[in-house]
Formats: sequence, C-alpha cells, structure tokens
Amino acid sequence: MKNLNGGITMDKSKMTEMFFGPNHPGVPGNYGINYYYEGDTVVSAEPNAGHLHRGFEKLMEEREWIKNTALVCRICVMEPDINEMVYAMGYEAIGEIEVPKRAQYIRSIILEMARIQAHIFSIGGNCGAIGLYTAMHWGVLARDYILDLFEEITGGRVYHIYIRPGGVRHDIETSTFQKLLDLLDDLEKNRMPEFQKLIFENPTAQKRWKNTAVLNQDDALRLGVTGPALRATGLDHDVRRLMPYGAYDEVDFEIPTGEKADAWTRMKLKRDEIFQSIKIIRQLIRNIPDGPVSVNLGNALKYRIPEGEAYVKVESARGEYGYYMVSDGGLKPYRVHVRGTSTPLGLYGVEALLPGTRIEDVPVWAHSLGICPPEFDR
Amino acid sequence: MRSENELITLINDKLNPLEVNILREQNMSVKLKKDELVSGLNYLKARGYSHLATISCVDWIEENEFELVYHLFSYEDKINISVKTRIDRDKSKFVTIKNLWAVAQYYERDIHDFFGIEFEGNDDMEELILENWNDIPPMRKDFKTRDYVNEKFEWRDYDGQK
Repeated sequence: MKNLNGGITMDKSKMTEMFFGPNHPGVPGNYGINYYYEGDTVVSAEPNAGHLHRGFEKLMEEREWIKNTALVCRICVMEPDINEMVYAMGYEAIGEIEVPKRAQYIRSIILEMARIQAHIFSIGGNCGAIGLYTAMHWGVLARDYILDLFEEITGGRVYHIYIRPGGVRHDIETSTFQKLLDLLDDLEKNRMPEFQKLIFENPTAQKRWKNTAVLNQDDALRLGVTGPALRATGLDHDVRRLMPYGAYDEVDFEIPTGEKADAWTRMKLKRDEIFQSIKIIRQLIRNIPDGPVSVNLGNALKYRIPEGEAYVKVESARGEYGYYMVSDGGLKPYRVHVRGTSTPLGLYGVEALLPGTRIEDVPVWAHSLGICPPEFDR
Repeated sequence: MRSENELITLINDKLNPLEVNILREQNMSVKLKKDELVSGLNYLKARGYSHLATISCVDWIEENEFELVYHLFSYEDKINISVKTRIDRDKSKFVTIKNLWAVAQYYERDIHDFFGIEFEGNDDMEELILENWNDIPPMRKDFKTRDYVNEKFEWRDYDGQK
C-alpha cells in the first residue's frame, strides 16, 4: 500500500500549527502543547505551561513550617500523600528528628494506598485518552473505594494532611486495618481480573498502546526520567530500593520491569505494581509494631529547626518526587524547591521526544508518560 | 560502587572544592568556585553521576548572592550530590549547562523567570511560566507579595465589610 503520509519534508507550506490545550479533553490538566504537524505527524512541538501557576514556593516561604503541611498536598492532585511525605522527610532530615517505627509503617501503608489509587486512576485516564470510557469510569469507581478508606483514616478524601513532620497525625484503628485488608482482597480477586478483561484483553487498547509513545532507555536516562517510564526500558531503578525511606527496607517486594518501553508496557507495569503494593500493605499490617505514632515537637506554630539543607526524594506513582529544602533556623522555611516527577518530560521532553508521534497518539503520549502539569507549574 | 568517604577523597583530589560535606547517609554537598562548576559537573557526569534531578536556586539576600544547586545522582553509587556555587546578585549571570544536559535549558528558563538570572549560551530565555511579568522576579527575597498585591489590585468592600 502506498504510504499516504509521504514522509516528512519539513516544508513550511505543508505544516499546520495546532494548539493542543490548555482546555482539551486529551490534555492532562491545564497545560498546552503547541505543535506543528505535517500530514498526520507532529514535526515540532513546544510546551505551553503557565496556566496553572499558583506560587506555592513563594507562599511556603511566608508560612510557618506546620502550616505548609496543609499546603504541599495541593501541589499535585494525584500525589497528595507523596508531597506530605517528602515535606516531612525534608524537615526531619534537617532537624535530625527520629520518627517512631509505627509512624514509619503507617506512612508506608498510606503511601502504598496512594500508589494504588494513582495507578488505577492513571490506567483509567489512559483508557479515556483512547476512547474506552467504560474503563475510565470503572477506574474512577475503583479509586473511590480507596478514597472512602482514606476518609475513614484521615477525614479527607483527596487531601489528607495526615503525614506531618515527626510522624502522622493520629493512629489507625485495628478495625480500619481489617477493612483495608478486605478492600485489597476485593481489589485482587474481583476488580483487577475485571480490568484485565476490560482493558488488557481489549483489542483497541492493544492496538493503540503497543509500539506507541516509545521512550527508549538512552533518552530516559539523558532526560532524568524515572518511575514506570524508566522501568519500562528494563532498568529496575526505584527510590524505594535505592534510598529506602519509611518502612520499605523491612518489606519484601519486587520491582516489575519491561522490555519494549511503549505505552502498553507502562500500563502493564502499573498493573503489576498494584499487585506489589497490595503485597507490601499486607506485610506492613502483619508486622506493624506498637508504640507512639509521632514525636512531640513542641508548640506547632513555633516549630524550629537548625540551619541546614536537604534534598529528599520519594518514589511517587510516576517516579522520583524531590524537594530541596533550606532552613535558616527561623520559624518559616527559607526556600523550598519542588522537583515534580514529570518536569523533564513535560517541558524539554515535549520539545525533544514528541515529534514523530501521530496526532491521535499525542494524548496517549502525554497520559502514559504521566505528565502532571501542576508539579512543574507549581 | 564508591562510598561517601571515597568520593570525598576523589573530589578533593580532582575538583578543588571550597567545601565538601556529608549531609546524611547517601547525601553529600559540594561547593565549587563558579568558574570551575561546569568542569566539575562534567567530571562527575563522566563518573556515573548522570542523573540531573533538577537545578535549584536560593536567594541569599544578606550576602548579596544567588546560590545555584545542581542535584546529581548516581545509580551505581546510590549517592545524591548537591553541587553548589554562588554568583553575585547584582551581576546575575551564569553559564548554561545545556551542552551537558539538554534538559537543563528548561530548568534554566524556569530560574530566569523566577530569579532573573541570565544563562550565557542558552538563547531561548522566553517567559516559561510567568506571562507579561513587569515587576522584579517574584522568587527574589526583596519581592514582597503583599505590597505587590496592594499596588496591583484594589481592595473592594462587600456590603460594607472589609
């Protein structure tokens, strides 16, 4: 068959400019990609960020240490607990505060619950990007059951403000642990097989995801991409292993890796990681020690840590999430810099890697690589 | 795989640092002179520190300096190194590292937006996040948010209530 695309000529008269976003169902958030296409193929692209800037970093410098715990979770809707955790870790690293064992276990349980809900939502969102709306709605539903449990534990559904410097806000009841275990059983025995049939055995999903949005290993390492996008290239890099935090050095889990580095592999990795998270939570609940869940740091509005700095990072559902925090010994942070997971891909990656993608695959590219604009447009 | 102490010896030998510290386990900071920073980063990159997490900027207004912090990580050594250098606040100019890490050009643009630092060699310094900004760069410590708001916007009375 004759190739109707006819190859890319880079002839300006054949190119058309397209504004993809900032308000578009295929874009993950208030963020745009301005690209030129020729035929069906993107030939050059640049990110159009700045529609979501809320000035978090400046705001943090004006608020006391404890007040920021209620702020940081708002940076990225999908990763509220990750932000709370990394902020608390930064504070504890500068102040050299030892967190009780039980608090570390509870934190890890919360983070793994957050990972499961983020992965389910992400798989659902990716299905939305290729038109499988049933799967998208099922994803939202399955996530909601986890949010219900978050509500029971913390009082909030999406933003929990639960992990704070020195530990967690309060203990979890034993009955809640039982509910969580029941939920995980349900997820493992009922929901995930349903997703398997609906999404992973679906011909549309296979056709649209296989060999689409390929990110090879060299590019991933060159850009500093982490998380499932890097693991899909065959490397088992995971911050939970490389620099263990929380209680991750006391649990046994595997890091799924892939070979092909396309959207399909990344989706399969996310599915496999959900099973690993279930395994981790079960171990944590089984072995959770007794004891206090936080250390007393004195008057909450008078928190003070010595001068110092720390770059701390955790493994979010999409990769390395880091904060660079500087303290001058005062009541407020001197500087907090947020390194969102998708910063390299959402900014430079669009310019460098998007060209060559077909127009209809641009949403697949953006969703499957986990672009989350609020974290680089913070 | 190198330990933190081996790394300190290596850096002291080769990079002529102003200061090397172990902050915590797996975390180090290295302070370099500003004209030796790029060669220092190049040296570390060639020795496995090829993951550039991000570039941070801190405004030390009392010392009248900006501090640029390059966060590197090595998958072999499993050590984070924050490579730091300071530049003059009045002549806020530095060199780009986009030849080492192409992705850095966007981090530099971000810093240019929020701190007003120019990076020589990085031509594309268009506004990335802020649009039509006409005040001093907002992340500088002498930018006061409240004054800016009072100047830029007017307060309104709602039913006589302030």
